[in-house]
Amino acid sequence: MNGPIRHLAAVIFAAFAVLVGAVTFLQVIQGPEYRDDPRNIRVVTGRAGKERGTIITADGVPVARSSPDPDDPQLFTRTYPEGETYAHVVGYATLIYGVSGIEKSQSAALVSDRDATISGVLNAILGGDIRPRGLRLTLVDELQQAAAAALGDQRGAVVALDPDTGAVLAMVSSPSFDPASLLGRGAGPAGNALDSSPAEPLRNRAIDQTYPPGSTFKIVTAAAALEAGIAGGGTTFLDPVELQLPGSTATISNYNGDVCAGGDTVTLTQALVSSCNTVFGALGMQVGAERLVATAEAFGFNQEIPFDVAALASVIPGAATFANDLPGVAQSAIGQRDVRATPLQMALVGAAIANEGEIMEPYLVQQVFNSEGEIESEAEPAVWRRAVSPATAAALSNLMVKAVTSGTGFRAQISGVSIAGKTGTAEIPDEAPDVWFIGFGPVDDAADSPRIVVAVVVEDGGSGGLDGTGGSIAAPIAKAVMEAFLGV
Amino acid sequence: MSRSAEAALLLTASVVAAFGTALIGFTRGVGLDAQVALTFIVFVGAFGAVHLALRRWAPSANPYLFPLAAFLAAIGLTEVYRLDSSLGSVQRWSLLIAGVAAAGVLFALKGDGVVALRRYRYLFLAAGVALLLLPLLPDSWPIHGIEANGSRLWIGFDLPGGRSVSFQPGEIAKLSLAIFLASYLADHHLAMGTTRRTIGRLEIPAISQFGPILLAAAAAFAVLVYQRDLGASLLIFILFVGAIYLATGKLVYLVAGGGLVVMGGLASYQLFAHVQRRVTAWLDPFADFSDAGYQVAQGLFALGSGSLTGSGIGQGRPDLIPAAATDFIFAAVAEEMGLAGAIAVIAGFALLVAVGFGIALHTRDLFRKFLAASLTLVLAVQALLIMAGVLRLFPITGITLPFMSYGGTSLVANMVLLALLARISHGARS
Repeated sequence: MNGPIRHLAAVIFAAFAVLVGAVTFLQVIQGPEYRDDPRNIRVVTGRAGKERGTIITADGVPVARSSPDPDDPQLFTRTYPEGETYAHVVGYATLIYGVSGIEKSQSAALVSDRDATISGVLNAILGGDIRPRGLRLTLVDELQQAAAAALGDQRGAVVALDPDTGAVLAMVSSPSFDPASLLGRGAGPAGNALDSSPAEPLRNRAIDQTYPPGSTFKIVTAAAALEAGIAGGGTTFLDPVELQLPGSTATISNYNGDVCAGGDTVTLTQALVSSCNTVFGALGMQVGAERLVATAEAFGFNQEIPFDVAALASVIPGAATFANDLPGVAQSAIGQRDVRATPLQMALVGAAIANEGEIMEPYLVQQVFNSEGEIESEAEPAVWRRAVSPATAAALSNLMVKAVTSGTGFRAQISGVSIAGKTGTAEIPDEAPDVWFIGFGPVDDAADSPRIVVAVVVEDGGSGGLDGTGGSIAAPIAKAVMEAFLGV
Repeated sequence: MSRSAEAALLLTASVVAAFGTALIGFTRGVGLDAQVALTFIVFVGAFGAVHLALRRWAPSANPYLFPLAAFLAAIGLTEVYRLDSSLGSVQRWSLLIAGVAAAGVLFALKGDGVVALRRYRYLFLAAGVALLLLPLLPDSWPIHGIEANGSRLWIGFDLPGGRSVSFQPGEIAKLSLAIFLASYLADHHLAMGTTRRTIGRLEIPAISQFGPILLAAAAAFAVLVYQRDLGASLLIFILFVGAIYLATGKLVYLVAGGGLVVMGGLASYQLFAHVQRRVTAWLDPFADFSDAGYQVAQGLFALGSGSLTGSGIGQGRPDLIPAAATDFIFAAVAEEMGLAGAIAVIAGFALLVAVGFGIALHTRDLFRKFLAASLTLVLAVQALLIMAGVLRLFPITGITLPFMSYGGTSLVANMVLLALLARISHGARS
């Protein structure tokens, strides 16, 4: 009677063998494909419920922290106490919308070592600290709040940094969003609404959006001329109503449509103070595409900026593209045509002038500390690149001080403090201009001066609309941030 | 192998279970707590009760059965507890009840052994059928069916005070029906095995001998139609066909049974939306990822994410798989304990089945031989069907993985099944 039992047993053991084969195939051979399938949310959610490190500002204000979920102590929920003000820089770590900003770029430090890696387990057994690390940012809450308040509901961005170190003191983008809306169960519709909004509230305009830099780019053009010895502050230029561009019917005119300063001749200093398009168009052609592009690249254009979060590169077309296009050189020299810059890049242009021609690598993370609050690592300022010689930087600094004391940047004046600056109003045919201000201060004899650089961009003329200019809209915002920094 | 070695193995399994609970405590940051002790005490209590009953009433019973079950239960409870600690603590008490029930069965059969059951075969048939039909009782009755996940395979008792207990009668029915079959076949195997004519190499008995198999097919189909329970229906049918083959050695019953399965399968695919849904999800779970295929797809993600050594207990996300603690417990184990854990589970079942068939082979008395083989068959097929479902070798049938899935009835039924096997192995040669 045992024959059938043996046969059946053989079939069943064969079936068990097939299971072993199948499970090996699915887990090992096919496994990586399933594990990395975009619909497999294990990788993201595995982290979403885990504790992440606290993020605080330079002055100790918490901007992101994890607290135990009251329903399940195994899980943590992320909160962003300062909401919209830090939304772009700090970013978010969410289930559905992924990770952004510092939360993304610093996740190695912010995520717990309690993951079951061999080293993590060994570390835990040996009594090591397996809790996530925290971050102290370079952002100063007072400046961040001042920048957000000054920008208000206008679209644009503010970047403030310390030119001596590269530490970013404020970085605000508007419109913003509340990162809390992307957490939890209501995240789907909220995220979709943010994602499809034409105002693009999720975009960090400070680093993730380029604009024509307009007249702020004249600093670069002037730097190229000074470095090449083509002109000095006292060099005189003609002051026509409009500049006829060679081999073309196009012209360049000044903002007011008239002569820039008196109508006869004008010095380079006066041209920068009054932001004469005609003069800088002509100067650009004199400098030539080769030198103009090389100088812009020395300032960081066409380069990837080393930064704690991914930043878009600013762009100027290569010199070869201007081979038969002198009008293009003239227009590029006043920051129009195809020149595009992020607010961070223009802040670095300001920083180069403020820091004797050298640009420090910008950074956002000041310290990494462990769960006991002990500092594990500290940012070390490093030189990124030299933009211009110290002499050129000093000369341009003088020009920019005059642009504030007696030029288009007068609304950035702070009584008792010497401020340098340059306005920009990037004209877009039939549309309101994108308006700029870059400035720094205080400019005095102290060894560490200037201590702050601010770059501001406001889209579509901001509250000024079609009549908005860099001087009227952007300069007061920079002034507010610098006042907050200087405590005046 | 002695009973003392069995005691040592059972104790080891209890330590493994306690260790599992402790690991979960660590990942949750609570460290060693009372839960660890409770798991250990319950394991020692449940399997200790069985062990003492074996020592007292079946001292020469096979000593491998319960240690193997204890290791599977330790892995299963750890994963259930990890998925949901409240389910885990219910499961723990179920294990204690199951241990006591198994010991109780050994006590009840202490005199003549399972032979005592042989006379009551029609009682067991009636009980089996009644248990299968119980879930059809209307909702308003004090004992009534419960519909869950589209299948009606639970019954509930309303207790005074508004509380109620529920269980899956199908799990008990399989034991009743196995006893009936073994008894019936012990008397009829000769007639059923007598060849009347041959077609090619197929030896065919009298047509009237196909009665039981048709009856089983009808019963299984009824379960499928009225309770929409694919797993129980298939399990019962395979039990009938397999047992008849075991007793007669006639291939024709397997052929007839296989034919009926194919016909029944095709008919139910045409007739029932829930069968179609499961078959579609099986053929391509990613075609309808967000709906029908979601569970199977999540199971595959779990398997892939587990890889060789797994994410570590408490470190994966098996909670993303619908019904992870019941139908998909094998995927949860594979995710957190990796291929190593998955193969350990398969090997555990294979060994248990080997022991079961070994008992059947070494038993002389036909009733006990058939009963041992049928019980082993039902255990093997149940484990194979649901693991094959998770591994996408077969559609998901919605039955529990013995000793591992969350579910008190399943735990009790399978522990009683082992108690019957153990009692058969005691004095197998008499």
